[in-house]
Amino acid sequence: MKLLQASSAALVGMAMCSALYAYQRTADFGFGDDAETNVKAEFYWSRLSYTSSVGSSSFGGGYGGYGGYGWGRTWSRDYPKADRQVLLALKRLTRIQGRSTEQVVDLDSDKIFDYPWVYAVQVQTWSFTDEEAKRLREYLLKGGFLMVDDFHGTADWEDFMEGMRQVFPDRPVEDLDNKDEIFHVLYDLDERIQVPGERWIQTHRTYEKDGYVPKWRAIRDDKGRIVVAICHNMHLGDAWEWADDPDYPEIFASMAFRVGLNYIVYGMTH
Amino acid sequence: MFQFFFKYPMPVFSKGKFVLLGAWPGWLLLLLIVACAAGIAVIIWSRLPAAAAAHISKWRAGAIWLLQSLLIATVLVLLWQPAITVAELAPQQNVIAVVLDDSRSMAIADSGSDGKTPREAAAQKALEDGVLAGLQKKFQTRLYRLDTRVGQAAALKDIQPSAPATHLNDSLRQLANDTSDLPIGAVVLLSDGSDNSGDLALETIRALRSRRLPVHTVGFGKERLAHDVELTDVSVATRALADSRIPAAVTFHQRGYAGSKALLLVRDGDKTVGSREITFNSEGANQVETVFFSPGGAGVKNLHFLLGPLPGEENLANNSIARLLGVTDDKRRILYVEGEPRWEYKFIRRAEDDDKIVQVASMLRTTENKIYRQGISDPKELESGFPVRPEDLFRYDGIIVGSVEAGYFMPLQQELLREFVDRRGGGLLFLGGRFSLSDGGWNGSSLVDLLPTILPAGRNTFHRNPAFAELTAAGSDSPITRLMDDPAKNIDRWKRLTYLMDYQDAGTPKPGATVLAQLHSGGRTLPLLVTQNYGRGRTAVMATSGTWRWQMSQPLGDPAHDLFWQQLLRWLVLDSPGQVVVTTPAQTLMDDGQIQLTASVRDHDYLPVTDAKVTAHVIGPDGLSALVDMTPAADSPGVFRANWTAEKPGSYLAEVTASGQTENGTLPFERIDGVAENFHTEQNRELLEKLASETGGRYWKPDELARLPNEISYSDAGISVRDIKELWNMPVVFLWLLLLISTEWLLRRKWGVV
Repeated sequence: MKLLQASSAALVGMAMCSALYAYQRTADFGFGDDAETNVKAEFYWSRLSYTSSVGSSSFGGGYGGYGGYGWGRTWSRDYPKADRQVLLALKRLTRIQGRSTEQVVDLDSDKIFDYPWVYAVQVQTWSFTDEEAKRLREYLLKGGFLMVDDFHGTADWEDFMEGMRQVFPDRPVEDLDNKDEIFHVLYDLDERIQVPGERWIQTHRTYEKDGYVPKWRAIRDDKGRIVVAICHNMHLGDAWEWADDPDYPEIFASMAFRVGLNYIVYGMTH
Repeated sequence: MFQFFFKYPMPVFSKGKFVLLGAWPGWLLLLLIVACAAGIAVIIWSRLPAAAAAHISKWRAGAIWLLQSLLIATVLVLLWQPAITVAELAPQQNVIAVVLDDSRSMAIADSGSDGKTPREAAAQKALEDGVLAGLQKKFQTRLYRLDTRVGQAAALKDIQPSAPATHLNDSLRQLANDTSDLPIGAVVLLSDGSDNSGDLALETIRALRSRRLPVHTVGFGKERLAHDVELTDVSVATRALADSRIPAAVTFHQRGYAGSKALLLVRDGDKTVGSREITFNSEGANQVETVFFSPGGAGVKNLHFLLGPLPGEENLANNSIARLLGVTDDKRRILYVEGEPRWEYKFIRRAEDDDKIVQVASMLRTTENKIYRQGISDPKELESGFPVRPEDLFRYDGIIVGSVEAGYFMPLQQELLREFVDRRGGGLLFLGGRFSLSDGGWNGSSLVDLLPTILPAGRNTFHRNPAFAELTAAGSDSPITRLMDDPAKNIDRWKRLTYLMDYQDAGTPKPGATVLAQLHSGGRTLPLLVTQNYGRGRTAVMATSGTWRWQMSQPLGDPAHDLFWQQLLRWLVLDSPGQVVVTTPAQTLMDDGQIQLTASVRDHDYLPVTDAKVTAHVIGPDGLSALVDMTPAADSPGVFRANWTAEKPGSYLAEVTASGQTENGTLPFERIDGVAENFHTEQNRELLEKLASETGGRYWKPDELARLPNEISYSDAGISVRDIKELWNMPVVFLWLLLLISTEWLLRRKWGVV
């Protein structure tokens, strides 16, 4: 009887996972094995690998598999196609010399200090040890720049802030004004829209959870420079990843690329 | 003793001319001497075989021949009546100028038989103890005092050692002029040789020689102190930016403290603004040490550089030197042209965010067709890209060229870059990068001579490989590369910096360029930071774009990256001149208020202005306010000069205005009286001996002065007569003859041939 119950529970679980996988599908990233992973460049699209509060660190800390899906590996959502699509745009639309492949960085070593611009997703699931929080705080105060994306609604915000308060216990988070330099450093982005994830193709909803309104927020250093750019209630990573999908609206992809490039140029100038 | 043997004093022989009074010609004398010597030789030679039997060897025969020949020659010379003709001052018709130094250094008590008598008192005692009376027996005497000028004194007691300075050159020239109508036979100068105006000038020697005035110098004071430290010079910039840390090179020497340590201090009033512990090198040698200090905020700073006092020091008044330093908080602007977004750009800008003086206006090519501007003062600034008009570019004090190809600049703009350095006097810094230096085609550009290095041919000189920076000897105490004040610690500090993210081969430093830092990568050593002066300005190369790693990888709060860039950019702009620049050879006037003001006046294109009316408004102590018209210099367009005298001690400020120009130039200066005499307090015997020998006089020690009245007579200055001194009856002549005869006789006795 117990064996039957266990088997039934396993089948249900597998069915749910399969359904979720089908729902949150991953784009074919379409890059061959000849990608330039060892080329040295000025700019490296650096994706932050962190320990997820959803799974164990051993499960979530690595990045061996592509696909960006799985319990505890939330940092690699949309990885690596989103990263490489941004890098294509970066190469085509700016004079920044970026490597065409992404770079994964973590907070377990000082290697992160060689990559002054970092992108993180699903940050409602991140968690830090005291040492990691200290390293990220020092990274940001020395001149590093962190862009966070792809978390939605009130609960995610609270979870994100729980980790953020480990890094900056006292620094306020502010809503960015349209006039802020980060929206004008490359493109003038006075008119911004909520950028949905790939789910929009099925749901035509631009929001997830209770994140109805996009929040363009930031944390600044003592000189007023943005060190953490927060894209809440939007999913720019998906927009980059699905930019070549005919069903995904160009207007969202364009906005996502422009925001991404502005944030990179801002991070390299301020 | 000399006179006992030679009948006459030494000056007769040193100044006189040898003559033969006999009527027979001199050639006959020579002929006879030779003939006699030959005759004696023949006689001795002819008798030599027989003598050989008596064991007379050839060299003994030669000795006999020599003695006999000398005897005959001496007698022959005496027959021709040898004499000395010498000019001698006519008795009671000449004046001896007795000049007594009355500067404050003559009050130092280190003379006399006890070594504790003041120099002035010892000099007066020497004069009173017979020298003056001895002179007055033969001559008239006039007493003078000498300090910054020379003046007649009625009596010795009127001369007191209280004058603030000694100007030997000026005073002796004045003495030669003032006494041109007097029959001065000689000058007797009693002094310690301490001169505040420098070494003896050629003009002074010429003036004395043209009067044929021999100067007899009498030295007073210790020639060497046992224990003393003396600052001899401080070399420090005359201008600085507020909140800078700047170096000063302090020169000093010491006696009695070799190997010991002392603290070198820089003080602004009561506040110590810099210090450094130094170790004394060998005695007597000049030692130069660099000390860094922070002059603080804007204003004119009266800085004192101090060393000691040390235990047992004999002179404490020469341990300090004062210097004026103009500190400005006027904003300096740098134009930073960057060809691509990169980390070096960001972190240089961040470093300059903390500098309230230096402002960086940057234009960054974010895309092929977009320029992102930061740090601009108004929306129009750099709106059209890199300036094409001199007045737009010359408003900046410095330019940084980042990763930008030479071809990005039009020929007109390239020429403007050259003029910016050469004519405007700005600073130009080239950074390494993908499009920099050789990789940016700068090695083939018309601006190649602006660079402080000879760039390598070809491209591929930029490498994204780690490189370690290391200071050179020149960089160890440079204000640009100072991370630690102590040069040795500074070198070590640089070695401990994390590696640079990349580097570029900047080629070979040009002659005259200074390599402050070099880099090591893959077994190669290349110049990293090279500077040079060019025209009125300066240029530099920083052959990397990877110093940002210092900021990211050093511990949080480590100031190395920001401090280095702030210092480098301050160096770039500090000496960029304004349109009106006022200078003077020395801002601190010691006892003498004469100052020459020089103003360089340029228009907003920095072309020399030749037709302006230029005026210096001088403000001084006690409400002094004077307007001084400056006149154009004939040899230098745009340069105006004026001479002015600061009559009173105190601080002055000259503000120069030029008609038609909006900018003014200012110059602080200061007159200090009475300090110069605290320095060089040892007797300067070298100077006194030089003065005497160059003028035909003699240096005397005080204990030799008894002979002075007699020996001073032999001079052709004033009213002199030529006297003939016969030499035949000198005791030394008879002794010589006796010596020759007796020597021959004794030798013959010894050799058995008498």
